[in-house]
Amino acid sequence: MSNHIVENLRKEIEAFKIETKTEKVGKVVEVFDGIAKCSGLTDVKSGEMVIFSGGETGVVLNLEEDTVGIIILSDFSKIKEGNEVKATNRILEVSVGEAQIGRVLNALGAPIDGKGYVKTSSAQPIEKIAPGVVTRLSVDQPVSTGIKAIDALIPIGRGQRELIIGDRQTGKTAIAIDTILNQKGQNMICVYVSIGQKDSKLRKLQIRLEEGGAMDYTIIVSAGSSEPAALSYIAPYTGVSIAEYFMDQGKDVLIIYDDLSKHAVAYREISLLLRRPPGREAYPGDVFYLHSRLLERACRRNAKYGGGSITALPIIETQAGDISAYIPTNVISITDGQIFLETDLFYKGVRPAVNVGFSVSRVGSSAQIKAMKKVAGTLKLDLAQFRELEAFSQFGSDLDDATKKQLERGKRAVEILKQPQYSPVVIEYQVVILYALVKGYTDDIPINKIKSFEEGLIEYAQRNAKIFLSEVVEKKMWSDAGEEELKKAIEDFKVSFVK
Amino acid sequence: MAKISSKNIAEAVYKATEGKSPAEQELLLKRTVYVLRDKRMLGKSKDILEALQHIIDKKTNTVRLKVITAKNIKEEEREKLEDQIKVKYKGDKVISEFFVKEELLGGMRVEVGDEVQDTTYKNKLRKLEKFLIQNK
Repeated sequence: MSNHIVENLRKEIEAFKIETKTEKVGKVVEVFDGIAKCSGLTDVKSGEMVIFSGGETGVVLNLEEDTVGIIILSDFSKIKEGNEVKATNRILEVSVGEAQIGRVLNALGAPIDGKGYVKTSSAQPIEKIAPGVVTRLSVDQPVSTGIKAIDALIPIGRGQRELIIGDRQTGKTAIAIDTILNQKGQNMICVYVSIGQKDSKLRKLQIRLEEGGAMDYTIIVSAGSSEPAALSYIAPYTGVSIAEYFMDQGKDVLIIYDDLSKHAVAYREISLLLRRPPGREAYPGDVFYLHSRLLERACRRNAKYGGGSITALPIIETQAGDISAYIPTNVISITDGQIFLETDLFYKGVRPAVNVGFSVSRVGSSAQIKAMKKVAGTLKLDLAQFRELEAFSQFGSDLDDATKKQLERGKRAVEILKQPQYSPVVIEYQVVILYALVKGYTDDIPINKIKSFEEGLIEYAQRNAKIFLSEVVEKKMWSDAGEEELKKAIEDFKVSFVK
Repeated sequence: MAKISSKNIAEAVYKATEGKSPAEQELLLKRTVYVLRDKRMLGKSKDILEALQHIIDKKTNTVRLKVITAKNIKEEEREKLEDQIKVKYKGDKVISEFFVKEELLGGMRVEVGDEVQDTTYKNKLRKLEKFLIQNK
């Protein structure tokens, strides 16, 4: 046994080849709050990885006349003044590979879930120029979130960047999680980047994803709130580098950044410590570029370049619904639309609390399937009109029949778009219930019975509208025969339901 | 107002004293010390001198060499090393310092400015340790 160990060790040592080269070395001049100022290190590049004498890694961010400013990516308490720091001539890299699927990683790609070592196949730089115009294709494939309000009104396409924005406790993360859960069997790899979140929240989320079987296609990258700001700063870039590895293999990837407000705050902290001049809300001048270069890496590649895609769902937390603050406006302008969640709606019981009027998807409609487009075509406008009429109707004046009808229809639409958490609805069932709504079949159903009507109708349609359902799944649109079948099924079900 | 670095002061001192007679140089240096005292910058004098040394080395094409070994090395070996450094860095003059540190176990660490070539056993063992951990 011991001979075997010795033999193995000998083989390992024989495989070790040492390369002697001249290295650029600097000295630590000062260390404070996760930042090191070092002298020496001539010719070091911005963004280059450096290694301290104790093995800690850092990234060069500031190049000054006599010193370089370095952010330290691990415990900085052991780094002392006068310590040596070596340049590596490499931009910070993260290990990537298939084995990372189902794992929880830290911002440097190392596992933190206690399930042991992850064998990776290659290393990717965390900062990369986004794919060029020649390699891209416009968005035309849908990402099905399983949330009726989103799939019908604010559709998301593969390769799109759709912002989820709202105050605290409005269900932003819930939308992201539901979307991940709904990707089962949809040929999608999900990367969830948690930035500055509580570890307890992350653990809850991980358990939820495991229960839903979603960890089979999900990678979690986490930079917790107790970790240095430098890790929060690099975590989204690590996440997107992992996503790019899968996209390069022609796969579709969904990446969620939860959330970019904390990312901006972490970057502000680093920038102020590095004595970069503060601008609006004390954010540095390049905070727009911080997010634009990250979100620009989300794209859909054309067939010649592998045909993969990265769909990004960044999350932004607003303060008291103020979407005109600095970071929200920046990210709104970078992304291809936003899902706006409102506290008032949330407490009124409209969940998901999507404000349809403020939410938009700029490119998603071309990715929506034809059947959904047909049923949801006028729904957004109807809802907007409903909100307006609802405000007027509160004056209590007499209303004409057409207005009353519109109000009743609107109330039912709001009711149908309500959906509990962790219960995504597949697209064909969404089409069935929205069809019933827009064709007026639900107009005479009492509002408090809409939910049970919806559940019953879906169950009934599974048995009695098979042609319609299979057509929506396969051809993405129904035929006349399918429509007739559904109409009959709805009418039959309604008779039994009213009884 | 832009911050004045030690390097800026050293450059100014060098330019002011360049080509001057020893008496003038002495006067200038005295004045420099007074200015530094008035501006409360005497604490930076070490950095300024280092920067000045660097400028002079550059002008006179001098290479400063620091060698650390586990055992004392012979005079001819030292000369050989200096000659090689002179060729590599295209210098006219080499000013060298030799140190002995037993903890390096063997080999040699050569430092020129911020460039380091470390062939010591200690460094090799550290690299081997890292390699074995990574290959686990």
